[in-house]
Formats: sequence, structure tokens, C-alpha cells
Amino acid sequence: MNPDVVGAIARLRAGNVLSSGQAALFDRVAHRSLVSLSLEIRALLYAGVLLLTSGVGLLVSEHHREIGPLAIAGGIALAGAACLVWVICKAPPFTWEEIPSPNVAFDYVLLLGLLLFASDLAYVEVQFTVLGPRWTYHLLVVGAVYLLAAYLWDSRTVLGLALTTLAAWRGISISLISGSLWAADAARLRANAIVLGLLYVAAAALSVSLRRKAHFEDVFANAGLLLLLGALVSGVLGEQYAWGVWLAALLVAAGLVMGLSFHRGRSLYFAQGVAAAYIGLLRLLFEPFRHRESAIPFLLAALLAVGVLALLFAAHRRMREQ
Amino acid sequence: MRRQSVAWERAAEVREAAQGWRRVGAVDEPTEHAIREAFPDPCVTPSVVWRVLTACMVAAIVLCTFGAFAVALQPRPNAFPPLMFLFGGAAIVATEVLEASPRSARRGAAGATSFLGVGFLLLGFGIFLVETLGMGFDDALDAVLLASALAWGLSGWRWGSPVFTALSAVSLFLLFGRWPYGRALWLLAGAALAGLAARRLDEASWAPSHRRSAAVLVVAGILAVYAAVNVYSLDRHLLEDLGRYGAARIVRSPSLVVLSAMATAVLPLAILGWGARSRRTFVLDTGIVLLVLSLVTLRHYVHLAPLWVVLTLAGAALVVLALSVERALHRAPGREIAGFTPDPLFADERRAQALRIVPVVAAFTAAPAVAEDKDFAAGGGKFGGGGASEKF
Repeated sequence: MNPDVVGAIARLRAGNVLSSGQAALFDRVAHRSLVSLSLEIRALLYAGVLLLTSGVGLLVSEHHREIGPLAIAGGIALAGAACLVWVICKAPPFTWEEIPSPNVAFDYVLLLGLLLFASDLAYVEVQFTVLGPRWTYHLLVVGAVYLLAAYLWDSRTVLGLALTTLAAWRGISISLISGSLWAADAARLRANAIVLGLLYVAAAALSVSLRRKAHFEDVFANAGLLLLLGALVSGVLGEQYAWGVWLAALLVAAGLVMGLSFHRGRSLYFAQGVAAAYIGLLRLLFEPFRHRESAIPFLLAALLAVGVLALLFAAHRRMREQ
Repeated sequence: MRRQSVAWERAAEVREAAQGWRRVGAVDEPTEHAIREAFPDPCVTPSVVWRVLTACMVAAIVLCTFGAFAVALQPRPNAFPPLMFLFGGAAIVATEVLEASPRSARRGAAGATSFLGVGFLLLGFGIFLVETLGMGFDDALDAVLLASALAWGLSGWRWGSPVFTALSAVSLFLLFGRWPYGRALWLLAGAALAGLAARRLDEASWAPSHRRSAAVLVVAGILAVYAAVNVYSLDRHLLEDLGRYGAARIVRSPSLVVLSAMATAVLPLAILGWGARSRRTFVLDTGIVLLVLSLVTLRHYVHLAPLWVVLTLAGAALVVLALSVERALHRAPGREIAGFTPDPLFADERRAQALRIVPVVAAFTAAPAVAEDKDFAAGGGKFGGGGASEKF
């Protein structure tokens, strides 16, 4: 029971703010006489898909010689196709607007079908060497199929997978912590990340302006900003000589992101711009003291954070959040 | 907690509920407005993004200032503990000031200063014991864990933070684990903690954040009991290994192992039963997690089938279970059975959906492709989402 809400409902009912029907329903929920299992059901479905794909992966990796490549490829294809056929049968007609899932299992069966398809493609590539030296293109195919499926069946989750798979095709891990942007061929990866990031941000803008799946905007924009700003930050922190150029580019990009997101009321994009600019500026503060220990850069970093804090308070006061 | 802060929290609780009612169209805009008028909350409450960013910037200010002082004072011996006490004290005073004002109490700054304040005090205390007093590492660790349990507990109570309460519980159980008969202490203290905290979950005189802290303590208590009785933990001396070097280990008698195995099987079911009966979803969720752990333990000792069979069957079983529960609830009169419904009720579905993207992308995204000009090597392909994760 939530005693504060229970008390409030009684008070609001007495003051005729709530009708008796409304009060009765809210009171049941506040008293825990009616409890939602929505989250638990979805968590179980997610765990089920995770275990199923892991089990199939293990089966193939341990027994592919005994079962035979054709049987494995055919079996996985059949399972994936069964999932996708079910999805096609259940899916509502296509529209450019947001469509609620027809049932709770829809998103997870779609996910399972697509993952099995991707696994099958990878297996076929390894066993039959279809693409040969250009084997990384299978990630492009998978990413494109994910993207198509995301639009066809209106899934933001699958769109997220599509964007990260396309990034993987270009050699970039979207989880920047894993360090792909700090690898030996970092320059090429950074360039890839910047191009992809810009493409994703453009896709976000187009989704909204053309009203084509406008609710995909945040998935496109967050993935794009993560790639774009991540690449620029890694350039600032990772480059030995040209870091100043990277910093200038980062500050311009972060400034643009902050300005545009402020006007559009998108606090998450604004926050990414602020964080990236702050991290980049730290190099400027610490670089002159690289060869000697000094308290000055720390004090300057603290002062910079005070400035950022003031900016945040001012922006929050004026921003009309969407 | 300040009386004022409790009143603000109670009002915020009602306004948040009203927001949920409005989100699903159960009340109209004028009604929500009337509720907001009836329960005024003077606090400025930015969204999570602003709060996290503010907390990060405040942490940067405090840590960079500390770094500047630390670099400046570095040559002086024993300068760190007083400096840490100074910073810890200042951060706690700052927290009190921030918490007192409705303009700053919920901006995220108070959370950062309180966390850093307690952190500085504990770290300073630890260094003081080892460096200044020359105390042995084990004694110092015990003292720091005791201080940590008390400090986080007090700060959780004072500033209404369930996270601090969780840190206090973790410190307490780590301390118990280092004592003789640590396993028995985990069992008894865990049961006592869960039992006592469960009685306060609906306590009207407590602030909402204190009730949430009580829920955290219930979960901590249950987990401690499970860790104490789990047969794998007993077999591998997981709790005994927390103790000081050379601490005596429990001699495993066959009857103790049997009891432990039975408890490993029964406890999750008991917790699930408690969760279902009390209709507390956090207890149900804890029960589900414990059940999974027990099944993993079972698989560790009893090889019923190859791992891939177990994983595939378990996955299929979970999917079938989830769909059966959903379908049964969906078809029941009023879409509910024993007070459970598959509907999200007043939860923010759009936000939940956005949050669901993260674990899916994290678990299933392909590993990045290596340089394009690299020769293809047979057998180097991978299995999983987009062709990644499991090597053939």
C-alpha cells in the first residue's frame, strides 16, 4: 500500500475532484489490490529469447560436425522463418505512424526471428564462404534487414539493433567503453563513426520533418550523437599532435548539438553535447602541465565545471522540454 | 529527515501518481491540475537527465578541487586524512544547505555532495587508521566496514536515499562475513532484517523514501539468507572466504549439505509465495532471480542434459510460461486473477520501451568487424546477433 496516495485519494474524493469510479480504481492500485505483471512478463520473454539463442549457438558450436552444415543452416532458417511468418500473420497493416504491438509476444518473436536469421547468415558464411574476403558485408546485409524489419513492424528495439549492427559493419562498437575508437586503426574508425553519426542524426531529423516514423527520432539521434561526439572526444584525447583540430571540431559540433537541442527541448541531446565539450576541454586544461605536477589544471577544471553548472541551471530554466 | 522534506516528498508522491493517471487518460487535464493545486510541491524537480548531469558536474567540482589540494599538499606526510575529513565535512554541510531549499533539494547536487561527503570521511578514516595509527589491515578493514554501515545507514535515514541504505546493508553483511560464524550471522541477521523491514513497508508515518529504503533492506535480507543457505556457497566456502586470513571454515557434514540443498530449492519458492500472497512485485522479482540462481546451482551439480539442451529448454519454458501467464490474465474476467493484471496500469510505457532497447542492443549486437582488407579465415566466424559472440 502507498499510504500517501491512499490518503490523497480519499481527500480528493471527499473534495469531488475524483469521481467514485476513478477513486475506486486508483484506490485498488494504491492498496495493491490490483498489481501489474507487465514488466515481469516482458522480462521473462526477454530472458527466454536470450537463453534460446544462446542454446542454439552452443548447439551449433559444439555439434556442427555431427549434425552437418546443411542440416544446421536449414534448421536455423526454418526456425527463424517460422518466427517471421508468425510476425507477418499477426502484424497490423503498415503505416508511417506509431503502431502499438498487437500482443506482448510480438516484439520478442520478431527479435528471435531476426536473431536466428542473422545467426544463420553468419553460419552459412563461415561454412560455405559465400562472400569470402568480403565476409564483413554480411553485417551490412543483417543491418539492412534489421532496418527494414524495424520500419515494417514498427520496432524501436530492432531499429536500435540495426544501427549498432551497421556500426559494427564499419568496425565500430557503439559501446565506446569497449574501445573500438582507441584501436590501432583509430583514424579510419573515427572517420567511419563521424560519417555514420552524421547519417543517423540526419535520419532523426528527417523522421521528424517528413513525419515518417517520427517516434524513431530518439533512437536515431542518440545512436548518432554517441558515435559523432564519441569519435570527436576520442580524437581529442587520443591524438598526440592534432588534438587541437579535433577539439575545435568537437566544440563546434557540441555547440551545434546544444543549440539545436535547446530550441527543440531535447534534454538528453543537450546533456550529451555538454558532457562531450567538458571532457574535450579537460585536455586543453591539462595539456600545458603534461610534464609537471601542478594544482592549477585541477582548479581550472573545477572552475570549468562551475561554469557548466551555471549553464545547466540557465538552460533548464529556459528550455521547454519535450 | 527534515519535516519539510518529508512533506515535499509526500506531495511529490501524489503528483507522480496523478501524472500516471493522466498519462493513460484516467483523469483529464483539469483534474490533474486540481490535484496539483491540492498537493503543492515547491521543489524544482528536473528530469533524470538534468539531475544526473548536475550530479556529475558537482562531483567534478568537488573531486577536481580535492585533486588540486592533494597535489599541492602531496609532499607533506599524513596530510590526506585531515584533507579528506575537511572535504567530507564541507560536502556534508553543503548537502544540508542544499536539502533545506526547495530550489536545490532535488536537482541532483545534494545527492552528489552527500555521496562524496560520506565517501571522503570513510576513505580518510581508513587511511588514518592504516597510515597514521599504524593499525593492521584486517583491523582497519573491520573498523571501516563498521563505520561504513553506520555512516551510510545514518545518511540514508537523514537524506532519504535507498542507495545509501543498500550500501549500509552491504557493509554490514561484509563485516558479518569477516566474523567467526559469519554464515550463521548472515542467516540470522538477514532473516531479522527482512522481517523487521517488511513490517515498515506500508508505514504511513515514514517518508516515501524511507519506505523504499525498507524495501531495499527486505531484498538485502533475503539475498543474505539465500547466500547463507545456498549449497554452492556452502560447498565453495564463499562466505568463509570473506573472513580474515586463516579463519576457520565450517566442516561440511552430509546432513548440513542436504539441509542446504533443500533450502536452496525451497527458499526461492517461499519468496515467490510471499510475493504472490502480498502482491509485492519487488518480492516476486527477487523470488524469480533466486529461482534462476537455484536452477543454475542445480545444473552445476546435476548434469541432466548437455548445456545447450538446458539453455534451449529453459528459454522455451520461460517464453511459454510468460505467454501462458499473460494469456490467462488476459482472458480472465476483468483481465485479472487474484489481483494481478497484465496491463501496465499507470506506468510510463513509452519510457519503459525506450529503456528496453538498451539491454537488447547490449546483448545481441554483433561485435565490430575487423579491418576490411583482412583475409577471411575459415572457422573465425561467429555466432549470434548479426554473426557475433559464439565461435564456431
